[in-house]
Amino acid sequence: MRNHKGITRRQFLGSLAVASAGLSLGDTALAEEEPKRYAKLHDSTKCIGCKRCMSACKRWNKLKVDRFEELTDRETDLTGHTWVVVNLTRDIKNGEDLSYLHWACQHCQKPACAGACPVKAIRKMPEGPVVIDEKKCIGCRYCYQSCPYKVPRFDFGKRITRKCTMCYDRIPIVKPACVAGCPVGALDFGLRKDVLLQAKKRVETVGGYLLGEYEAGGTDFLTILKTKPEDIGLVVAPKKVVSEDLDKIRITSSGFLGAGVLVGLMYIYSRTGEGE
Amino acid sequence: MMHNITQTGNTNSPAYYIWISILLACIVLAGYALVMSLLINMEIFEFSLKIPWAMLVSNYVFFVGSSIGLCIVSSLGYVFGMKRYEPIGRRGVFLAIITIIFGMSSIGFHLGHPERAMIYSLLTPNIRSAMWWMTTLYSFYIVFIVMGYWFLARVELTKIANSSTGIKQRIYSLMVLGKRDESHESVKKDHKKSQIVGALALISGLLALLMEGAVFGHTEARALWYGSYYPVYFLFSSASCGYAWLLIATIITYKVKKEEISGKLKNLIFEMAKIFALLLCVGLLFTSYKLSSGLLDPIKSKSIMLLLKGPFSLPFYLFEIAIGTVFPIFILLYSAKKEKIGGVLTASIMVLVGVFVMRYDFVVVGGVYPLFSPMGRDISVLLPSFFPALMEIYIVGGIIAACLLAYTLGVKYLPLKEESH
Repeated sequence: MRNHKGITRRQFLGSLAVASAGLSLGDTALAEEEPKRYAKLHDSTKCIGCKRCMSACKRWNKLKVDRFEELTDRETDLTGHTWVVVNLTRDIKNGEDLSYLHWACQHCQKPACAGACPVKAIRKMPEGPVVIDEKKCIGCRYCYQSCPYKVPRFDFGKRITRKCTMCYDRIPIVKPACVAGCPVGALDFGLRKDVLLQAKKRVETVGGYLLGEYEAGGTDFLTILKTKPEDIGLVVAPKKVVSEDLDKIRITSSGFLGAGVLVGLMYIYSRTGEGE
Repeated sequence: MMHNITQTGNTNSPAYYIWISILLACIVLAGYALVMSLLINMEIFEFSLKIPWAMLVSNYVFFVGSSIGLCIVSSLGYVFGMKRYEPIGRRGVFLAIITIIFGMSSIGFHLGHPERAMIYSLLTPNIRSAMWWMTTLYSFYIVFIVMGYWFLARVELTKIANSSTGIKQRIYSLMVLGKRDESHESVKKDHKKSQIVGALALISGLLALLMEGAVFGHTEARALWYGSYYPVYFLFSSASCGYAWLLIATIITYKVKKEEISGKLKNLIFEMAKIFALLLCVGLLFTSYKLSSGLLDPIKSKSIMLLLKGPFSLPFYLFEIAIGTVFPIFILLYSAKKEKIGGVLTASIMVLVGVFVMRYDFVVVGGVYPLFSPMGRDISVLLPSFFPALMEIYIVGGIIAACLLAYTLGVKYLPLKEESH
């Protein structure tokens, strides 16, 4: 009787517990194992600073070209119509050690901007890109303030916030414009798990730092740096998800407490000296 | 400008017309800035591309906070039933209405697409966003506060409607929505309803304000704003703003109209001055907590140092600490003891000026760090100036002028004094 082929009651209950535990872990676990998640990789040890990625981005996305911005070594900042920049960075400790850094939206796996947008104009696509719906954006710039890298920039002409879309209209069939435009292979694109593996190997070889594996809870844009980000004056996100929902609730609840105290004080005050 | 107010009378004196013309001129300048922003580019509002939240946002925070503060103070009278506070109830609620409306217009000018904000807040709300909660709660607050004023002023408006003729009568009848019952029963009913609506306005207002603090508090990416501090601080800071607005408006209106301030109201003003000083002391405690906790935090300390020893140190020490908090505390306590109305007025104006500058500092300094700078260069090198752009000042000046104009007209045409109670 006991040697039946089906599962026992104990096994069934056990599997139920495992399944519910898996569900309660939420989408964090699922997101990490997303089979179709793509990522972009930048290897700053290979970059020659030609800024072809910048011009390829502008051409594909039909963005305005500023005067002189594509001159080599000229420091540029992200704007509503410049979604990718290449800047020369200097190791603060070792002033001679220079390298070029390709900088754009990091495409966080848990983007803080999407949680901040009041009208759900920002979404994380299953393939990896974090995309702003330009027909929906109200131009409040809260996404900029919530982004640890200050990436989404306001386009004063269109009155909306714009940023790198990881060319979601090209991938995964065609590589993003910047990757396709790179002449020296300093940019790469592929499935995140493959890209991550490749990046880790490269970091081991050059002895650098891999930016994006854990920063802001993991990003779909990985960067290989020659040195630690702080050494080149880069402010990086903490190695955790930025502006988590639970943290938001914690902060809001302190406000509720404050409001409760204020109303209580008002009540106590209103009971004083009325009889006089 | 304040001098001008004191010159203006209720009768249409030349000073009154000068005052109105100055306000209209400011509004025209704001209109010019607005048209230019539509014709050329919205960039003319921004003094730096790197700080996209600047004076329009700080002005919004200032006005909207003031509105909730006014709601808090006036609700002491008509929600919590403090008879002493009833003389300033209606004025407070009216001021709360105009400050929230002009505060909202400030954010409307700041938004790229305010029309989309209204549509998509309803169609695709993001309940994870504090900003959505804030706008939604403020919408409720506006409805409740307007209803609150209506219940408080209906009988007075009816009296004006009944005693006037022609178009004036029609307008006032429309204002009371045809309910021209002046009986004692209806007055009692209105009082009860104003209490309920006032309580709803207070609840929605406080929730909206704490959500406004949360908009800043939730941004983990901006060290100065992040944390539980601002949702709580905003509540207490706004309450002191409410006291300042009400004291200024009440005292100036009586002075301009050359009316005698009754003994009851005088007592209330000095009592308010004492509570106001107490709130400022609480504010000072909050500021010292912000500084001490901020300096201990390695990331936060950079923005705190911008306030203490950087381009913002002058506004911080002069406006936030001296003019906005410390001097007014002494002036208020002294004036309340010696029963000097002028002192209370001066201190209140100082606080409002201080808070206005402080809100600007808070928004701009908070938005600055951490800054991505590939060459590791200093913030002061990357940003040439922290001073607002001319067009930005025009817009904010126009909003303040519109608010003052609305109050001036409100004093002239609406019942703001409490007489019947």
